[in-house]
Amino acid sequence: MYSNPKLPEGINTSKEHPLKEFSILLIGALALIVIVTFALGFFGSYLAGKIPYSAELKIASLYDPPDNNDSSKSEQALHAYLQQLADKIARAEHLPEAMKITVHYLDGDTVNAFATLGGNIILYRGLLEKLSTENALSMLLAHEIAHVKYRHPIKSLGRGVAAGIAIAAITGSTHSNALGETGLLTTLHYSRKMEQQSDEEAMRVLYKLYGHINGGAQLFKEFQKMREQQDLGESPALFSSHPLDQQRIDNFKRMATLNQWKTTGELTPLPDFFSIKKTEE
Amino acid sequence: MDQIIITLVLISLGYFFGRHAEKKHYRHIIEREELMNALPAMASRFPPVGEKFEQTLVSGNVVIANDYFKTFAAGLRNLFGGKVSSYETLLDRARREAVLRMKEEAQALQADYVFNVKYETTSISKGKNNRLPMIEVFAYGTALKKITP
Repeated sequence: MYSNPKLPEGINTSKEHPLKEFSILLIGALALIVIVTFALGFFGSYLAGKIPYSAELKIASLYDPPDNNDSSKSEQALHAYLQQLADKIARAEHLPEAMKITVHYLDGDTVNAFATLGGNIILYRGLLEKLSTENALSMLLAHEIAHVKYRHPIKSLGRGVAAGIAIAAITGSTHSNALGETGLLTTLHYSRKMEQQSDEEAMRVLYKLYGHINGGAQLFKEFQKMREQQDLGESPALFSSHPLDQQRIDNFKRMATLNQWKTTGELTPLPDFFSIKKTEE
Repeated sequence: MDQIIITLVLISLGYFFGRHAEKKHYRHIIEREELMNALPAMASRFPPVGEKFEQTLVSGNVVIANDYFKTFAAGLRNLFGGKVSSYETLLDRARREAVLRMKEEAQALQADYVFNVKYETTSISKGKNNRLPMIEVFAYGTALKKITP
């Protein structure tokens, strides 16, 4: 009269394997995170470009610029020369009056140079002693000054901050300091597009100053040589923010033919005190 | 990085142990349900007419916790919405286990039926973050034992 039927299994539960659902959800969530981070980074970069330069200077003043405290006489002369060359290039690039370029020379073996917030440009001895002409040095300075001109440091920071906030919101971590601990001291990451924009601006200025672009490509060749020596091999183009060295050299040649810039011409030697540092070692 | 590794380890541990425990539990439930089928549990509030019964309140209670893997999957589900299939088995097992325990109590009283069966479901971990979900299911009813004159 009264009975409980035996119910078939699987009425109240899903038969689907739990890992299948899990992997679909996980891929979806990761894709969402990537899209949100990229989108926020993009808008962060865009909005940061709208920050007035005076505000950027205030942000930059939060950090101490890296300077050698005990600079020798030869180093002071070198620094003055670099600063004067940078000012000349800044004028050639038509930098606004408020955008002051400050050159910092660091006595380090690192083969690197970078532009950062507030018009600060950091040059390492390691890179400078590899350059043999003023033309190559001008190319380097013009490249870094172009970063400042196009507001790349603040755009890069804006992108980093926005993406960092997105990641902190998703992972729920509250420890992250949005501006970072060493904002000015570390190299900001510029996109490949930014690097190319700066390369092209630097070439324009090189031509304007010297009437030819001879010697400009030495910079890229030095980077290429260094990487070959280190035997690290170049990382795949997709992951590298600096366009691959060979690509930069090719781009240099392409730009030259496109604009009919002279690729030969007299090279300007570097001043004598420039090499003093090297012989002292 | 450390956090990611810890999470991955917890997820895989949750998956393997949780799945093993669930399969074992289901086997146990199905086995006992077949045995307990002789004692019907009805939702009806009215006992069979024309007979006299001894009436006793019987109940069964169970608490089951979710494993880390399922909780993580349900958390991902929160982003997109939809059927939270990882919680379905948890509730299914809890309800069936609670009824079985109730029936076992009725059986010990030599009852013929359990009438007016009801469930209460409570989330023990309700509202607490960073805690694995835990549910309690309480099944209760009136055990009826025929009085032979």
